[in-house]
Amino acid sequence: MATMSERPTNSVGPTLSRRQFVKAGGALFVGFGLVGPQILKGAAEKTSSLKNSLDPTLGSSWIEIHADNTVLIRTGKSDFGQGSTFTAYRQIVAEELSVPFDAITTVIAGHTDRTPDGSGAFDFLGHGTPNIRKAAAYTYQALLDLGSEKLKVPKDKLSVQDGVISGGGKSISYGDLVKNQELKLTIPVKGDLTSIFGLTIDGDPPMKPVSQYKIIGKSFKNSVTSSKVAAKETWATDVRLPGMLHARVVHPKTLGSTLISAGKVDKAKFPNSQVIVKGNLVGVVAPNEWEAIQAAEQVAAETKWTAWKGLPGNAKLYKHLREEADWTTAPVQKSDASKGDVGPVLAAATKKHSATYQLSYMKHAPIGPTMALADVKSDGMVHIYTHNQNPQALRGEIAMMLGTTPDHVIVHSYPGPGHYGRSNGGNAGAEDEAVLLSQAVGKPVRVQWMRSDDMQWSTQAAAAYSDVQIGLDDKGKMTAYQIDHYMPAMQDDRPIGAVLAGLPTMSAPQVKSDSVTSTVNGIEDPWVYKPIANVIENGHGTFQVGQKDSPLAVGLRDHSMRTPGQFQQNYPRELAISEAAALAGADALQYRIDHLSEERAIGVLKAVRDASGWDTRPSPRRDAAANGSDPLRGRGVSLMLRSGTYWACACHIAVTPSTGKVVVEKYTIAVDPGIIVNPAQLKRQVEGGAVMGVSHALFEEVMFDESGITTDDWTSYPIPTMADVPEIKVVLIDNVKVGAYGGGSEAANALAAPATAAALHDATGKVMRRLPMKPAYVLDFLKT
Amino acid sequence: MVTLNVNGVRHEVQAPGDTPLLYVLRNDLQLIGPQFGCGLAQCGACSVLVDGKESRSCVTSISDVANHEIVTLEGLPDRWAKQKGLSAEQAKNTLHPVQQAWIEEQTPQCGFCQNGMMIKATELLESNPNPSLAQIKDAFTNSGPSPNLCRCGTYLAIIQAVQNAATIMAKGR
Repeated sequence: MATMSERPTNSVGPTLSRRQFVKAGGALFVGFGLVGPQILKGAAEKTSSLKNSLDPTLGSSWIEIHADNTVLIRTGKSDFGQGSTFTAYRQIVAEELSVPFDAITTVIAGHTDRTPDGSGAFDFLGHGTPNIRKAAAYTYQALLDLGSEKLKVPKDKLSVQDGVISGGGKSISYGDLVKNQELKLTIPVKGDLTSIFGLTIDGDPPMKPVSQYKIIGKSFKNSVTSSKVAAKETWATDVRLPGMLHARVVHPKTLGSTLISAGKVDKAKFPNSQVIVKGNLVGVVAPNEWEAIQAAEQVAAETKWTAWKGLPGNAKLYKHLREEADWTTAPVQKSDASKGDVGPVLAAATKKHSATYQLSYMKHAPIGPTMALADVKSDGMVHIYTHNQNPQALRGEIAMMLGTTPDHVIVHSYPGPGHYGRSNGGNAGAEDEAVLLSQAVGKPVRVQWMRSDDMQWSTQAAAAYSDVQIGLDDKGKMTAYQIDHYMPAMQDDRPIGAVLAGLPTMSAPQVKSDSVTSTVNGIEDPWVYKPIANVIENGHGTFQVGQKDSPLAVGLRDHSMRTPGQFQQNYPRELAISEAAALAGADALQYRIDHLSEERAIGVLKAVRDASGWDTRPSPRRDAAANGSDPLRGRGVSLMLRSGTYWACACHIAVTPSTGKVVVEKYTIAVDPGIIVNPAQLKRQVEGGAVMGVSHALFEEVMFDESGITTDDWTSYPIPTMADVPEIKVVLIDNVKVGAYGGGSEAANALAAPATAAALHDATGKVMRRLPMKPAYVLDFLKT
Repeated sequence: MVTLNVNGVRHEVQAPGDTPLLYVLRNDLQLIGPQFGCGLAQCGACSVLVDGKESRSCVTSISDVANHEIVTLEGLPDRWAKQKGLSAEQAKNTLHPVQQAWIEEQTPQCGFCQNGMMIKATELLESNPNPSLAQIKDAFTNSGPSPNLCRCGTYLAIIQAVQNAATIMAKGR
């Protein structure tokens, strides 16, 4: 038995207690928290509150300080490909603790039984950082308290450098301070672990002043990159369990088909394969992956489904949304920025711009289709091995599907392909399908979706249209602006396998939703043109297309994708502002500056002007033309505020009227996120976002007929190749005085579309108000 | 039974001859560098070198590559060590210049496609040690069964890494 003494010590609101350990059965407890060598390998964390969860009120559930001066951190946010948990998160913790970056040797991310807070892999440096930063700040204060006691020097006379506390001519390292002790730091938390936003740490511990930053702002490398490049990382795709079966799912023939009869396995050809049917969920499992694939194809050909035609088809999508969709059930959302009296000012305007803008459905389209491995044990415990955007929320969804509690579900997180949104927030199907198939066969089952499954059965970024009216006075100034955004529900959280199997899920999108899944369309694009006196921004929402008519209640399921909702709202706004500038005979970039008051917004525009070689003049250019077989050049600009970060971009394009082909030749983008945590990583993220922006502007459109999605591979759903990459210039504005970390790469993708469309107008004198600007559409459009 | 020569090692594989190489590499030989992306030779995530040429293992039957020289991402360091005549000890601690450059340039975002990108870069640099920008773009877009696709849009970082790798290879380290 260990002998211990325990006494509480106050530390900025939370409580710190300490138990002195002596040798306990030959083992020496060391470190801050229950730390032994096995925990250094991430193997045996203590759990307390909810079974199979860490106790989030324990400081050591977030951060461990070890006797050897190394540090371990845990975050519920799974890395989604940008590596922020391995770069920015380490930098933020190292900064608050005043330890070297390399002292943080272990990052545990996204495992539901080994991380404390949950929530999704979005807004990493905004919504994402307060928890880990506060945990570090609380820990730092606790360490100072201990140091003060140990060195017998008042706390305010202590200083810390590289994990060594000094004061009064004495010093001690963090490692020595915590050696041979178990320290219990209690921190305040609130929230719901398995909700989309997870738990948050409460209170306001003192934070290190920005002026003292030494680690934040430096370009540390992503530690995971090396292992991925050397084929030494274990991806979700690599996990194998003993006795595991491979599975493929035979998805319904249409988005509204129900099962008539499942095909039977040809046992002569596929002796080890088996068909599993649960409601409308049909799966084929086999010990050998190639056999599973072939057997699933054979079974699919013989499986009979009811027919269904409940979609408008993509050619009639806009007409359907405009004339047939129900926009009256969901209450209209008016933005907080709405002000003044738009109607009379518009009526009295000297010039008026009035137009409609349309966006297509787009796919998340990860390079690897969604997959997961599940192991449903005989005692009811469910283990899922996957790459998921929100592992704790997935845990809740799987528990709901099975009619059990979240403590029976453990989600193990591994790297996977970038989805850039919540297409794999649990709703894409592999995890729930793997669980149901594993439950049925009593063995671990690995479900791998094929390319067509991912293209046709995952969620999409919602289509949308917007009506814009802008009034200009006799000097060309905007005096009134009204925008009405129309978009079907953009977040469907239901796991599709559970839906097909007829098992409990969160509700389908409805007006009053029990989750973020709602038909209500909020204003997602923060207003920036504050000097405009009269403004109305309205959001109109409706059900997902086909949802109400489908016997499966699915239709075209949507889920958030990089700048969700905001892309759909910023594209019409920014293209319309460029058109208003043209109407006023003004330069589109300067015109924006003339309608802004926020210094940071003006700053990014000026940065783009300087870096892009922008020629200040009105659009369209004098020699604009809409015909000919020679490339014509044009340039356009756009502006966005997202998560406290200001963005501007300029796109220089070439368009060949005789073919309709648009090429973005130069993409200049400026970002002011406030404090830049890691410039090199941010630059890479922005470059990637820029390429995705070109993709949104020129390439991406989900095609569908009356029954389902017809774009099912990379030929029918193209994305940019290396040949399509423009010259990219990234301007990072490290705006330290803002005092906060803003958004990272999210938004870089959204800026290209309105800037490219404005550039097309500049080159041709014609405004195409529809995405994507692919050759066939541009060709048709320029003929009109 | 099919005999495969992968990364310099002979394997007798008990699998039907029409099995795509990708599944044998990943499930039987535990070579996980190649990833399943499309199964259609449309993206390049599954690429390997077959006799020095970038090939899509998702559509390549094992019977078609029996006794050919197959190299996966895992085999790149050895390939470089042999080309440079490095000792076994040196080789153990050396990555292929392409891999070194990929880390130096912090090329991957999610990294899922980068296996194929590094295989394509190796193929390119072995035939053209100092490619121009146009030649790099052409190789990654036109030389394979399909363009090598990256959803994260890391193409610029890939171009810079190929140029960096060319420099490392020229120095011979």
